Amino acid sequence: MNAIEIRNLSKSFRGMYAVDRLHMTVPVGAIYGFIGENGSGKSTTEKLICGHLVPDEGEIKLFGRDYTDAGVRVRVGALIENAGCFPNSSVYQNLMMQAINLGIEDREKEIDRVLKIVRMEDSAHIKFKSCSLGMKQRIGIAMALLGDPALLILDEPINGLDTDGMRIMREILVDITQKYATTVLISSHILGELEKIATHYGIIRQGKMIVEMSASELENRARVFVSLKTKDMQGAKRALAAKYGNVKEEDDYLRVYDVDDTEEIVGYLMEKGYVVSELKKNKIGLEEYYVELMSSKEAN
Amino acid sequence: MARELKFESPSFAQRLKGMLGVDFYRLFHTPLFYIFLAIAAVIPAMILGTMGSEGAEQLYTNTWHIIAAETPLYVVNGISEYANMNMVFIFGGIMVSIFIGHDYKSGYVKQLFTTHAKKEDYMMSKSLVGAFSMACMCVTYLFGAMLAGLLVQTSFEVNAGSLLCAVLGKMVMSLGWASLYTFLNIIFRKYFGVSIASSFFFGTGILIIGAAAIVGNSSVLNIFLYGASVYACLSANFVTLIVCIACSAAWAAIYNVLGARILAKCDVY
Repeated sequence: MNAIEIRNLSKSFRGMYAVDRLHMTVPVGAIYGFIGENGSGKSTTEKLICGHLVPDEGEIKLFGRDYTDAGVRVRVGALIENAGCFPNSSVYQNLMMQAINLGIEDREKEIDRVLKIVRMEDSAHIKFKSCSLGMKQRIGIAMALLGDPALLILDEPINGLDTDGMRIMREILVDITQKYATTVLISSHILGELEKIATHYGIIRQGKMIVEMSASELENRARVFVSLKTKDMQGAKRALAAKYGNVKEEDDYLRVYDVDDTEEIVGYLMEKGYVVSELKKNKIGLEEYYVELMSSKEAN
Repeated sequence: MARELKFESPSFAQRLKGMLGVDFYRLFHTPLFYIFLAIAAVIPAMILGTMGSEGAEQLYTNTWHIIAAETPLYVVNGISEYANMNMVFIFGGIMVSIFIGHDYKSGYVKQLFTTHAKKEDYMMSKSLVGAFSMACMCVTYLFGAMLAGLLVQTSFEVNAGSLLCAVLGKMVMSLGWASLYTFLNIIFRKYFGVSIASSFFFGTGILIIGAAAIVGNSSVLNIFLYGASVYACLSANFVTLIVCIACSAAWAAIYNVLGARILAKCDVY
């Protein structure tokens, strides 16, 4: 069973398709990184899943049930755009309202639990409007976590956070999935951060899903390369290009793509009279994979 | 880590309880409610204090005229005939608009609609909470009027049974009015100012007053919210109360069904 299964989903605004016959599959227990440029349809898709927008056509199933099923929707937590809290109410009051809304029996205990998860035990009585951006995002996650959701939908939760905020958020997300086995759909622009936590990826462009893959599939698809430094970079580049073809100079390093035999490269360069001062084997990351994918789509 | 996933559909009562619980929690924790209760008490006291004092401009000689007219008057002769407990429905309209407006402005409505797939929960909850707050305003209005009557020494002579039916009738009408305001706020959810203005416009009963100018003091007007609210007057009886209950319930049902349909068919934003 999949946590989310979307088939042929479309949504248009004034004749412009924000989501265009989208297919999406999120396995149960996954941390699904939802990637795409601004206006690609990520947020619209998430809003459609949460029932905030009405689709033009298509089918959305959550845990095998129609997404309008009250039983499944009560187990969905979301942080879309903002935390959805009343600014003049305290953090505790906002959480209390959501706990009442969800019909949670032992509300105080549940609020303490989620505040602990988001590391905000000491900030319960601060007014929401007095909280920093990082705190507000964490409160949004706490709101979404109330009632033990089976599915969490997080729209850009790490946007605008400082390094420490991002680290805390990452730890929280890993905690949630490891301790509670919650399925998480998370959209973000910060691919480096996403790469550290996601188990699955979906890349969307102009409302269409371009590719869906697991982290291990990305690992397999990602191109390997050897990066190296020599005194005569231009000469070495020419020599390497003559033998290996795909050579680029990036960040003061020469990158030889689709080759992982470092000994062979060093031997070849020595033969040609170039001394290698630094050398390492690499794989391109999610960010570079994404950029490459986008450029190839643009070229097509 | 694998875990068993259970999805139990909450019953209608459970869903409504959750939504009502939030709305009542909000209502009692927001200064807005208490401010409007105070306004509902102060306004009749001010009107009676200024227009009930002895002198050339004395418009009220009986305290209960600030609660309701002697007979159902749809076509009125003076401004004082408008100024009775029906004003609560204008205050209530503004309060319901602000209350629902905050749902949208804060984004809390997203939390509600994420976990509540059934839109009728939202309509019913807002209507019931709005009705409760307006009924409370009716009570503070009554006390404000009585206190002012004692201070300016206007007459308290009245048929107690009719007064009770009139006050209860107006309190019952709160449900119909609250449903109308919730419906208007759903339609104008993207335009907070328009929501308040439309609530104020309908709350004044100007459409029924305009219709009355054409058809006269006709009992046909009792099928409308403002008409039935006017019908709950100081000559009211048990039948008046039944008419108010029927009118309020019917309009509440109509507005709730329409509002839920609109919410189900339209985007939240």
